[in-house]
Amino acid sequence: MDDWIKKNKRGQVRFRGGSHDWLLAAGIAGNCTHFVLDDEDELLAEEERSCYNCRFRRWIDHYSFVCMKR
Amino acid sequence: MKIYVGIDDTDSIEQGATGETAKQIIRIIEERRWGNCQGLTRHQLLLHPDIAYTSHNSSMCFTAEIETASLEPLIEAAAGCLERDSAPGSDPGLCVAAEEQLRDVESLIAYGYETKKRIITKGEAYELAGKLGVHLSEHGGAGIGVIGALAGVGLRMTNNDGRFQGRLELKVPGAIINVTEILCSNLVERVQSVNGYVLNKNEEVRLGHKLKTVLLGGKRTLLVYRREGALVWKTCTNAHLEHY
Repeated sequence: MDDWIKKNKRGQVRFRGGSHDWLLAAGIAGNCTHFVLDDEDELLAEEERSCYNCRFRRWIDHYSFVCMKR
Repeated sequence: MKIYVGIDDTDSIEQGATGETAKQIIRIIEERRWGNCQGLTRHQLLLHPDIAYTSHNSSMCFTAEIETASLEPLIEAAAGCLERDSAPGSDPGLCVAAEEQLRDVESLIAYGYETKKRIITKGEAYELAGKLGVHLSEHGGAGIGVIGALAGVGLRMTNNDGRFQGRLELKVPGAIINVTEILCSNLVERVQSVNGYVLNKNEEVRLGHKLKTVLLGGKRTLLVYRREGALVWKTCTNAHLEHY
């Protein structure tokens, strides 16, 4: 299954795992060449390398984010 | 006089962090001996696809005790810092509220909570700031950072919103430490469970990897949790704190 939901009207893809799929977010970030750790105050996941902690995720509500690099 | 300084929208997707800009303003205030600054807090605002925030729509606020004569130069220096140091393409805003000159605290607090619930316009922010007698100014881009800058001050005034910037360093992760020792660090004013129970001085807490504090009841609070039946309290993770 694709980890991303199809592009919205802005051309962005939304993370399928919502806001608490720690394993999926860590797995994607582990292989992502775009990953950049965000500012310390904005980190959510305990494992550093996670989409939830990436500078290029943009939260669209409290339940999900879009990736600005896909 | 006690002042509240709120800033927002100083970063872009590629560079900058509003917390770092706030720390730079704090450095300027203290280096020029205008006053002493206290606790920098991060306040979460509404997450909504139609709001033009960078990635998480949070604003920052700190307080300072200054002489009245330092207020105008401080505002000028903070504005200069935002113009100089904000990321290209950002929309920085600055709010400075002097507690003794503020006309209606409750309206400002209500505005702060409102920014968590609905999309607010720049016009609304300026209108309220004018009524209340607080400084609000924009320093680049579309200037929409004024909305969050004002909200950061309002939310800080609730005494019950926001996470303190940075991590606490107490002991190594996994160490068990009693509440007295935590309070003696002078970095924490209260240790409290996520359910509102305030730990007494003899109780013990196992430290996690990342220790963050939140503003609750006007105190810098270390939040802990305990699984049902467990004896030891543990410090909260980032995920526990996401709604603070």
